[in-house]
Amino acid sequence: MHDVAAHAAHHAPPTSFIRKHVFSLDHKVIGKQYYALALVAAFVGMFLSWFMRIHLAWNDTAIPGLQLLSKTGAPGGVMTPEYYLQLMTMHGTIMVFFVLTTAPFAAFGNYFLPIQVGAEDMPFPHFNMMSFWVTFVAFLVLMSSFILGDGPTLGGWTQYAPLNAVGSVAGPGQGLGVVLWATSIGLFCVGQLLGSLNFITTTLDLRVKGMSLMRLPLTAWAWFITSCMGLTAFAVLMPACILVILDHVAGTSFFVASNLVINDQVQPHSGGSTLLWQHLFWFFGHPEVYIAIVPGLGIVSHILITNMRKPMLSHRTLIYSMGALAVLSYMVYGHHMFVSGMNPFSSLAFSFPTLVITIPSTIVVLVQVFSLYGSKLRINSASLFSLGFISMFVAGGVSGFFLAQPSIDIMLHATYFVVGHFHMVMGVAAMFGIFAGTYFWFPKMTGRMMNETLGKAHFWLSFVGAYCIFMPFHYLGLAGNVRRYSSFVDDFLQPLIPVHRFITVAALLTGAAQLIFLYNLIHSRFWGKLAPNDNPWEATSLEWSTATPPPFDNFGGKHPVVYHDPYQYGVQSSVGDYVMQTSPEQVKTESDEQ
Amino acid sequence: MTTAQEHNGIGKDLIVYVCLLALAGVQFVIAYQNIDASQMLTRMLVVACVEAGLAALFFMHLWTEKRGFLLFVAVFTIAVLLGLQYGWTDSYRMVTGAPFSH
Amino acid sequence: MSQADLTIGHSTTQTLGPAFSIPTKKFAMWLFIIADTMTFAACLVVYGFLRNGTPNWPRPFHSITNVAIMTFILLTSSLTMLIGLRSARAGDKGAAFRWTMITAALGIVFAFLHIREWLELIDHGMTLLKNPWGTGLFGASFFSITGLHLTHVTCGIIALLVVGVRYKGGRYNADDIEVLGLYWHFVDLVWMFVVPLVYLLNLAH
Ligand code: HEM
Ligand SMILES: [Cu+2]
Repeated sequence: MHDVAAHAAHHAPPTSFIRKHVFSLDHKVIGKQYYALALVAAFVGMFLSWFMRIHLAWNDTAIPGLQLLSKTGAPGGVMTPEYYLQLMTMHGTIMVFFVLTTAPFAAFGNYFLPIQVGAEDMPFPHFNMMSFWVTFVAFLVLMSSFILGDGPTLGGWTQYAPLNAVGSVAGPGQGLGVVLWATSIGLFCVGQLLGSLNFITTTLDLRVKGMSLMRLPLTAWAWFITSCMGLTAFAVLMPACILVILDHVAGTSFFVASNLVINDQVQPHSGGSTLLWQHLFWFFGHPEVYIAIVPGLGIVSHILITNMRKPMLSHRTLIYSMGALAVLSYMVYGHHMFVSGMNPFSSLAFSFPTLVITIPSTIVVLVQVFSLYGSKLRINSASLFSLGFISMFVAGGVSGFFLAQPSIDIMLHATYFVVGHFHMVMGVAAMFGIFAGTYFWFPKMTGRMMNETLGKAHFWLSFVGAYCIFMPFHYLGLAGNVRRYSSFVDDFLQPLIPVHRFITVAALLTGAAQLIFLYNLIHSRFWGKLAPNDNPWEATSLEWSTATPPPFDNFGGKHPVVYHDPYQYGVQSSVGDYVMQTSPEQVKTESDEQ
Repeated sequence: MTTAQEHNGIGKDLIVYVCLLALAGVQFVIAYQNIDASQMLTRMLVVACVEAGLAALFFMHLWTEKRGFLLFVAVFTIAVLLGLQYGWTDSYRMVTGAPFSH
Repeated sequence: MSQADLTIGHSTTQTLGPAFSIPTKKFAMWLFIIADTMTFAACLVVYGFLRNGTPNWPRPFHSITNVAIMTFILLTSSLTMLIGLRSARAGDKGAAFRWTMITAALGIVFAFLHIREWLELIDHGMTLLKNPWGTGLFGASFFSITGLHLTHVTCGIIALLVVGVRYKGGRYNADDIEVLGLYWHFVDLVWMFVVPLVYLLNLAH
């Protein structure tokens, strides 16, 4: 409510250090804060994955220093099976929530959505600030489970019932660890709800003159669609987390059936349903995977267009397809539950829309690929990572077609096939989207260019590395390699160990390649080549029409006016082969959609 | 806000209020009918939806907003709400283990 | 027409103006309501799922008097809220403030009745875990759903008091009252589902 006052005071930039850099109301600062959080989280998650991979490949090798993390979990540096699962849970949770949701959506969206629509800020800066700090606290709460109690929960990022609800009897971390997990995720939901509220109102209400909906860049559309999903998905996960906490702390049994025996002990709970948790979780979970990827779709389209010097074959088709993804994402969630004991009729009802959702996904990719066809793409780190995104999205998405059919999924569920699927289509693809965005927008955010040579090295190592890691996962899955095991001792798994060793080596190298990115990021921030001008990529959208870095109110007290569709490339104007959205210059284009 | 609203005055609010009270009363009557639980549930839900519709349209003024907004709110909410209804058949399995059987 | 159109964005000539001609704060409240609908719906689905799947679900309520009075009070508070808004729109600040306070007072009575009912049930031995009538899920779902609703009512009361006083002080205007009104009506709307599902379906026969 107090935001009106804040808004009035908004013209004057804050002067104190705290208001400027810590509790800032400026969407650009908040965007950077989100980015920093995601960066830290990504490296934590990556180190965890290293530990897991080493353990899987060389089961009884000690990892030096791991005993410092947990004496009981990794005595002498060799992790116990339980500790393996605990690290795996943290890896998944950190990556899905604190990296793939925060970076492409909250970080870039915060920084660039208001600028791209021509606004001074979001309509509710206080909510925006809260959104970040709540998310930050959520991260701290999650991390605290490393040192509190008997460690983090071991239930996986999906936290299936009933093990998430019965307490310590289910293993280390299932007591306090789960409570911290659920608290953290509940808080995270609040943060993202506040964010979504701001994103939707920014997009719909704060557009400058001339910025009709169809003139919004694809990134703005992607963030808008994502926030519509976020608004409702997180609103369901939040009460689910609260109910889990109640099951834990108060002893209710929403998610625990009667007479359950765990580790030879009959549980006192009675009456609940384990499937209920899965329904609630995946109602959130499937939209969540699209929350992770749709911003990436927008970002790489934006970047590719800029570097192709021509618009996509159809602007509208991309927008409608992303919208269709959002709508369908609420109808398919049960494809994660085909073998959960769900009603088999529901399997059918979920399988069909799941196959339908491959249509808009395919359309998006086809539009991108056919637009690329015959274009003279400018090759730079940003466009390479965008191409990498498409490659990963396709390679990982194809396995989705198989998983969508219950008859096949019954074999493949709970194997590395699924792990391969989602790491490529969501994990790596979204990461590539983040990288592409970073290389592309870095000059606008800092006034300096990132090093291209290092950027390209980073791309090729990551691209080849990611395929080396995740393609074999599909093979492993088809060979029957179960997921969420800490060691593969069965006879039929023994021959697969060499594949695991290959993957581990690839993972260590690919991970190490990310240090190049970190170095490039930090070095360029302080000592990088100065950006030649405000618009080094000769791009058209509004963020490139303002100063670098953008002033506190984004446009220096002016209100831009928009005259053109977002992507006027391949035209003849006074500045070159493009017209900026804010330039009143009239040029002839084929795609004038006036 | 809009002219329609100002012309109608308090009278329309009162009418809606009385309707809502009456419908709430109907709920209580249904509760004392001698019918089985599923029938009772259906009737109550229908009445509740009518009540909610009245409240949203007139107390929350959706009716006098732009039609586009009414559509936006209604379609968005109802579509997502429907998505939440997939799980029901599994509820029966808590008792019997088989779908659709009592 | 009112200054509502100008609240956000410094001048309507520079921006396209808010979508659907709805002031941004009001739009944000609607978005919150959509999200909150999902939160309540999730809780009600949990309750329905468990109730349907549990044989011999307890039906402990004998009297509808209390819940009927509560319903009446909450519905009436929606009406007083509307009157407050109308007065504010008509520029009658005193009346608007008074009706907002009356709404808050009705909210307090509602909360009081609700808490008294809770205490009675607790006296009868009902907790989150168990109750004398059957499965413990009854208490768990009853307390969590009505608790969530009561939390909303409490926040609403606080908001009514704060906004009312600040409106009187001139810091807030009729638009703020309208936005708050949306929230308050929504709390009422949710109650329209809670009553039949949580109370009336569990009436002893
Ligand atoms: C082409 C469209 C897609 C189809 C048909 C599809 C289908 C499926 C199916 C059926 C599963 C369940 C497999 C199982 O657990 O047995 C699954 C898992 C998964 N999918 Fe997809 N998917 C598609 C695209 C995506 C996208 C775009 C993302 C993310 C951006 C994604 C992320 C995931 C994740 C994270 C999981 C596994 C979650 C877990 O069990 O931990 N999928 N997919
Ligand atoms: Cu899915």
